[in-house]
Amino acid sequence: MKKILVLTLAALMVVTLVACASGGSGSNKKVELRVLHYIDMSSAGAAEELDVVWKAFDEAHPNITVNREDEFNDPFHDSVDAYAAAGTLPDVMYCWPSGRSTTLHTQKLLKDLGPLAARDNLSNNYSSIVLDPSQQAGGYMGMLAQGITSTNTFIANKEVLSAVGLTPAKTYSELVAQVPVLKAAGYETILMPNKDTWVMQSCLFSLVAGRFMGEGWEQDILSGARDFNDPDFVAALNFIKTMYDDGVLEQSSLAIDYGDGPGLFSTNKAAYYIDGDWRVGAFITDASTGVALITPDRQTNFEISVFPDIDVPGVKFNRSNSDIVGTGWGINAKLEGDKLEAAWTLVKWLVGKEVQTFRLRTGGISNPSWKGIDFNSLPLEPMQKELANLSSKYDKSTIVIDGPFADVVYTPINDGLQAMGIGTQTAADVAKLTQEALDNWKKTQ
Amino acid sequence: MTNKKYKEIIVNGIYRVILYIILGLFTFLAIYPILWLLLQSFKTNQVYLTTNKLSLPAVWYFGNYPRIWNNAGLSDGFSNFFKNSLIYTTITVTAVVLFANMAGYAFAKIQYRITKLLHGLFIVGILLTIQSILIPLFLMINSAGIFNTRLGILIPYIGLGLPMGVYLCTDFIKKGIPNELLESSRIDGAGFLTTFARIVFPMCAPVSVTLAIITFTGTWNEFILMNLLTAGDRYKAIPAAVGRFAGSLGADYGRLFTTLSLSIIPILAFYLAFRNQITKGVAAGAVKG
Amino acid sequence: MTINREKRISYAVLVTPAVLIYLLVVAFPTVFSVFLSFTNYNGGVIFGNSNIQLIGFDSYIWMFTEPVRSFYTALNNNLLIVAVSVFGQIPLGFILAYILSRKLITRGRGFFQTMIFLPNVISAIIIGVLFNAFIISPYSVFMEIKKLINPNAEFVLNTQPIIPVLFVILWMFTGFYMVIFLAHMQRIDPAIIEAAKVDGATEGRILTKIVLPVMTSEIVTCSILAISGSLKTFDLIYAMTAGGPAGQTRVLSLFMYEAAFRGAPNYPLANAISTVMVLISVILIIVTRQLGKIFSEKGD
Repeated sequence: MKKILVLTLAALMVVTLVACASGGSGSNKKVELRVLHYIDMSSAGAAEELDVVWKAFDEAHPNITVNREDEFNDPFHDSVDAYAAAGTLPDVMYCWPSGRSTTLHTQKLLKDLGPLAARDNLSNNYSSIVLDPSQQAGGYMGMLAQGITSTNTFIANKEVLSAVGLTPAKTYSELVAQVPVLKAAGYETILMPNKDTWVMQSCLFSLVAGRFMGEGWEQDILSGARDFNDPDFVAALNFIKTMYDDGVLEQSSLAIDYGDGPGLFSTNKAAYYIDGDWRVGAFITDASTGVALITPDRQTNFEISVFPDIDVPGVKFNRSNSDIVGTGWGINAKLEGDKLEAAWTLVKWLVGKEVQTFRLRTGGISNPSWKGIDFNSLPLEPMQKELANLSSKYDKSTIVIDGPFADVVYTPINDGLQAMGIGTQTAADVAKLTQEALDNWKKTQ
Repeated sequence: MTNKKYKEIIVNGIYRVILYIILGLFTFLAIYPILWLLLQSFKTNQVYLTTNKLSLPAVWYFGNYPRIWNNAGLSDGFSNFFKNSLIYTTITVTAVVLFANMAGYAFAKIQYRITKLLHGLFIVGILLTIQSILIPLFLMINSAGIFNTRLGILIPYIGLGLPMGVYLCTDFIKKGIPNELLESSRIDGAGFLTTFARIVFPMCAPVSVTLAIITFTGTWNEFILMNLLTAGDRYKAIPAAVGRFAGSLGADYGRLFTTLSLSIIPILAFYLAFRNQITKGVAAGAVKG
Repeated sequence: MTINREKRISYAVLVTPAVLIYLLVVAFPTVFSVFLSFTNYNGGVIFGNSNIQLIGFDSYIWMFTEPVRSFYTALNNNLLIVAVSVFGQIPLGFILAYILSRKLITRGRGFFQTMIFLPNVISAIIIGVLFNAFIISPYSVFMEIKKLINPNAEFVLNTQPIIPVLFVILWMFTGFYMVIFLAHMQRIDPAIIEAAKVDGATEGRILTKIVLPVMTSEIVTCSILAISGSLKTFDLIYAMTAGGPAGQTRVLSLFMYEAAFRGAPNYPLANAISTVMVLISVILIIVTRQLGKIFSEKGD
């Protein structure tokens, strides 16, 4: 037995050593960068991206060789975790400001880009939100974002509405009044693919919480000035419950897969659709197949806006949305000197004006972080134009709950929003559980 | 007498009808969802969403199959997943059968005190759940530098197939191969290894077939490790292709049902071809403590 | 070369491949996971990371006391799956096996066995995706059938969302137990049953007095398989409900997976859940061995 144990350990060590040895790197005049990219290579626009984004960079920078690895969805995150565990993170990587990229930020595996951004005066060209260190999980600027994400879009289907003689609702009470009319004609009022718990929290409740709690409410909670049992927060939760009670949202939405939302909405099942701004890309023409869920000539019947004015007592303001720093690019913290400069050059290109304009056109981003890109000059489809115009539909931005709060803190909210829909928890229960989770979390910090 | 016999025939007849109805009902319940699934693969997404889910395809659409087999949403096409599935199952089955037979022979017929401990370790492994080793395995595979390689998938697969294999082989060799036979081979001058190759391994054919079948279905259907230990589509096998449609990325039902159908057709064919061996293998694999 | 030396080398050669791979892939990670559950390791470099500290039972305390009680919901669901297996699949499988083993079924025995067992060979992940579209979605076959019966039927969210999952589990595995029981029932000497019949024994008496006693140890074995199988349930629920809505269909394995690989990772919690699962397995093994001893004595 002993022998075998020794053998096993020896084998383990050899394997580990080999792994460590292969992690080392040499530097030359010609800089080589290992890049991990998040992209579905079979998606619309992927082929075009190769030319516009990557080949163009190679041609402009003959001294930098880019070795790109493309990953998508869960495998992307698993790869990042895997590389982080083995200490073999790539030089440049796609990342999120929090969520599953949290480890990269909190463990300082990403380079602080703050000094470089200041040196190159990025504030001249970029929206201030993407340069704000407090917007990222590590409290420093671990990545440069290519856009700002609005997590709420409220899409009105005028084909359905005009069929029953209605126009898009401007206030919540108008919305409630439309429910019986739509129902009589066999339509749902709002379609929302709520099966995954994050959807309600991210795409609707964060906006609602902002409107009931006021701007900067997360700071009050984190500092202890207010807590989740605050009557305003309970009222915000209660509003979601009211939506179910009023029939504006149907319980069946809790059984709709996130992937099914656009398909169902495009076949006129409902008058309105709620999702994040990134989802508009699902309706437009897929460049590789030429097929669109909603064809461009139909798209003019769809109006994109933010959730209507909530005209119930307790709301502090309307015309607001929940915004968060979008995805972007970060640099391995270990990089120094020439390699760091090369990596920074690449990052600035990847979130630069040309690439952002390209992504805007393909639907990859909807609200670029580069200031002053001219939307009108781009060949956009009607729904994309509607989306580009989204920022004119609201005046205030509040946070998305899964940004500033830890996983263990927002999980009770995510689950609770569903539980309220089913009727197993009340707003006060959810608030209480969330506060307990926050207290517990604070103890571990 | 004749009256009684007559009555018995009628009663038996009624019984028989009732029993056949029960069996028929269960059979229908068991296979209807699968038939339904196969039928849906001949509808387009639009047709599936807008027509009755119980209806047969009004127009039989065959376009889903070539689309999925070659590409359509899966960067290397379904054929690549199929190829990987074949590679993983073939190598895993071969390795598990060979290693389990070897260890089984040693445990059953060569007396050492350590056998009890080692054999016991394998038995514990039968009831362990794979989730409880996910994180360490993930970390180890990464540290070893074999993340996202075929080797990084195969080693865990073989390791996970071994507990059942060692249990079955040890049991079979202990009870099924008489000591006298091995003794006489030894007297003829054959070493343990020669005896294994010439006598034990060939005699273990029945248990090897059972083990191969259990390992084959287990490996073919494995999902969670595959999903975690590979990145990208290059080294993924069939269940991982299906896993892509679980949860949040489904969107196209035509594609979804075709992927599902393509995934079950090979295993169904395998099952129908070897149904007797498979059901026998399952009965034999039901482990006693 | 002495015989002893040859024996030792042969033993090593025969045993090493299996033992080495097994230790590396199963035994060591199990122990490693238990160790990690007492640390604060949460991603990043694992070997030689100076920030990793021992934190004792903190993760366990969190798991047992956190306000949402996810652990207990998950454990409860695992227990429900055990219940469905032991009180649903096993009796049903037994009855079906009994029917198939009777002489009255003259034709189609192989056909019925093959078809009822068929769901077992299909990957659980496929079954999960299939039944999501089949039962759970508001646009499902189940809804269509409801509408056939009552054209005005509306989708109502199941207040006990675990029930469809339990149904599918029943659907999947009944055939498995049927096959095991059938294999053992066919070993009962038909002459004994015929003799009992001649003596005027009813079907009920044959079942309870002859078949059941012989099958006791198989029933115990199957129950243990069912319990360990329930602990292993993952793929099906992952694909079918993803643990929702509101985490009501989470099981321990899914709870662990979500802690580790969904959203911001929480490895300490995930490892604590794994450790509890290992503990349950170990307890099961001990119980199995004891029961096995009792019944093998009785059986012989």
